Amino acid sequence: MNEFDRIIIGAGLYGLYAALFCCRLGMRVLVLECEQDAFQRATKINQARVHQGYHYPRSLSTAIRSAKYFERFVQDYGFCINSEFQQIYATSSVFSWTNAAQFRAFCRAAEIPCETLHPDQFFHSNMCDSAFLTKEYTYDAEILKTYFRKELAAYTDNCTLWFGVRPKAIQAVQGQYEVTLPDGTCVSAPFVLNASYAGVNQIISMIGGEQFRIKYELCELILCEVNEKLRDIGITVMDGPFFSIMPYGKTGLHSLTAVTFTPHSVCYDQLPAFACQEQSSDGCCATFLGNCNTCPARPQTAYPYMKNLAKKYLLDAYQFTYHSSIFSMKPILMSSEIDDSRPTVIRVHSSAPTFVSVLSGKINTVYDLDEVLQNG
Amino acid sequence: MDNKEKIFISAVVYVHNYEQEIGSFLTKLITELESRFQNAEIILVDDASSDQSAEKIREVSRSSSSCSITILRMSSFHGLEMSVNAGNDLAIGDMIYEFDSIACDYPFELIFQAYQKMREGYDLVSVSPDKNRRYSSWLFYRLFARLTDIRMDTERFRIVSRRLINRVNDDNVLIPYRKVIYQTSGFQGARITFQPDLKQPQLDSAAGRFRSTLAMDSLILFTEFGYRFSMAMTVSMMLISLLMTVYSVIIYLAAEPVEGWTTTILFLSIAFFGMFGILTVIIRYLQLLINLVFKRKHYHFSSIEKLTK
Repeated sequence: MNEFDRIIIGAGLYGLYAALFCCRLGMRVLVLECEQDAFQRATKINQARVHQGYHYPRSLSTAIRSAKYFERFVQDYGFCINSEFQQIYATSSVFSWTNAAQFRAFCRAAEIPCETLHPDQFFHSNMCDSAFLTKEYTYDAEILKTYFRKELAAYTDNCTLWFGVRPKAIQAVQGQYEVTLPDGTCVSAPFVLNASYAGVNQIISMIGGEQFRIKYELCELILCEVNEKLRDIGITVMDGPFFSIMPYGKTGLHSLTAVTFTPHSVCYDQLPAFACQEQSSDGCCATFLGNCNTCPARPQTAYPYMKNLAKKYLLDAYQFTYHSSIFSMKPILMSSEIDDSRPTVIRVHSSAPTFVSVLSGKINTVYDLDEVLQNG
Repeated sequence: MDNKEKIFISAVVYVHNYEQEIGSFLTKLITELESRFQNAEIILVDDASSDQSAEKIREVSRSSSSCSITILRMSSFHGLEMSVNAGNDLAIGDMIYEFDSIACDYPFELIFQAYQKMREGYDLVSVSPDKNRRYSSWLFYRLFARLTDIRMDTERFRIVSRRLINRVNDDNVLIPYRKVIYQTSGFQGARITFQPDLKQPQLDSAAGRFRSTLAMDSLILFTEFGYRFSMAMTVSMMLISLLMTVYSVIIYLAAEPVEGWTTTILFLSIAFFGMFGILTVIIRYLQLLINLVFKRKHYHFSSIEKLTK
């Protein structure tokens, strides 16, 4: 009884969304996840933005796509969304790739709301030349996970979730993909979805498919406690060596990131090779990524740097203190270096049997999967 | 438990074709900052060096363990002032060291001593050699002091507080000459002097030219020197033209001038009077333009390259 209609690798948002989508179509689905629970890596460890496109002032296509899905995502998953804060985007006076006029023109073109505010309300004078009130929310990964697990649990016959397992080998045999697990178990399906984010190339290498051209960044997200004044405000100084501080879902904490200090180390190889892997305890290596967040070799926090950067801009009235750090690996498409775009890339490696890989850096473009799941 | 200072310190270092010296200077600076401060960053502003300076910096930066090192590369030659301004804009420290030159003719402990001096309650501490200055610099500072009451000196490096930087950024959109702006920012400053070693720092021709231009510009921008001089000249010339007019009328009435003399002189005097009047207006306009230009920030950088951390 190890035959399924779909095998999905990775229980992040993309994986579980696909699983639920397929279950609802009456398919028998198996989800393979190397962690002990869903949403343990990228889905949880990011700024949790529900993008409406503001973040990509140099890539109108990314912006329009995000905006298109924004309302739909908010409608479908409103329960996990924190919309009770003001999201401020600002342009720095110096070193920014985008200025006030350009941002305004961009918002008009992407048809997303932006209201001009006075930058002195938030920043030391002359640090930022514009500030905008935007409509952008953050989601709470924990609540979203509970929802997906509950929904999937309703499909007891159709949906199987296996945690703590990772594929050892994948091969095509007579119209099926056979996935072998470390304990020797063999499962098969005519359709495999590779939704393993940072592990995407590692899985692809098992079938010898064409890998994504990506670079890997080991990223730190800092969680902060904030004072009353900052509680209902999110601030992003955009497009350049700047920072963001904004509510982290509904946790009551704020996430703090900085473009130059969030990535701790970078790898430009096709498969992620990092010096710290030698000291990891979960067998992390170039062909299998462990969990950076629970790794004993995780880097020292860059909080002092991020704090100083943020304080240089923010008025003293906005106070925050360190709570904790969480780490994860982030793959970035090399083609998006120049325009800072973040497209959702869906690559079909083979059909009948079908092998599909998906790589996306945004939560609300998950709907891009619908087409391939339906027709696959 | 270490005794490192808890403060976040930034160092902005001006680099222009220093491939010979930058390696050893940066190595020493990294060691010094890492041993004294818990959090430090070094921003090397590479002012369009045409030599291997950037390569040298990349090489040395590998030896840093906790210190964050960044190269800010200017897209073309901007000169010392604009480049260090760009570096300051990028710096995030609570205090910022500004190394105008990497000539190291002082004992390295002075770097930390300058910081300790700050701790006594200053917002600006400059480190200067006690003698051995170039004659031209000496002359410039004397003249400047005479015209403005601002005392300055040749400086190797200085350390400034975030408070001072913020104030200066509030007041000025463009900072053409930091030393003057810092001195007049209203904060307490101090100076440490040292006896320089024999070696004199060498400037390459571009940097040398830049300094003499800067000296002339500063005199014109910060002192009323140029404006006052030209105003005095035009006003006195206008007076002379007026006198000439009166004189020619008197001669016409009292004596018998050669035919045509009176008309020629009258025409000339009135024309010159008008000319100088126009000049006065133009000078006023130029002064206004200078003030307007101050409101624009204009430097262009080509890249910011993070090397460590």
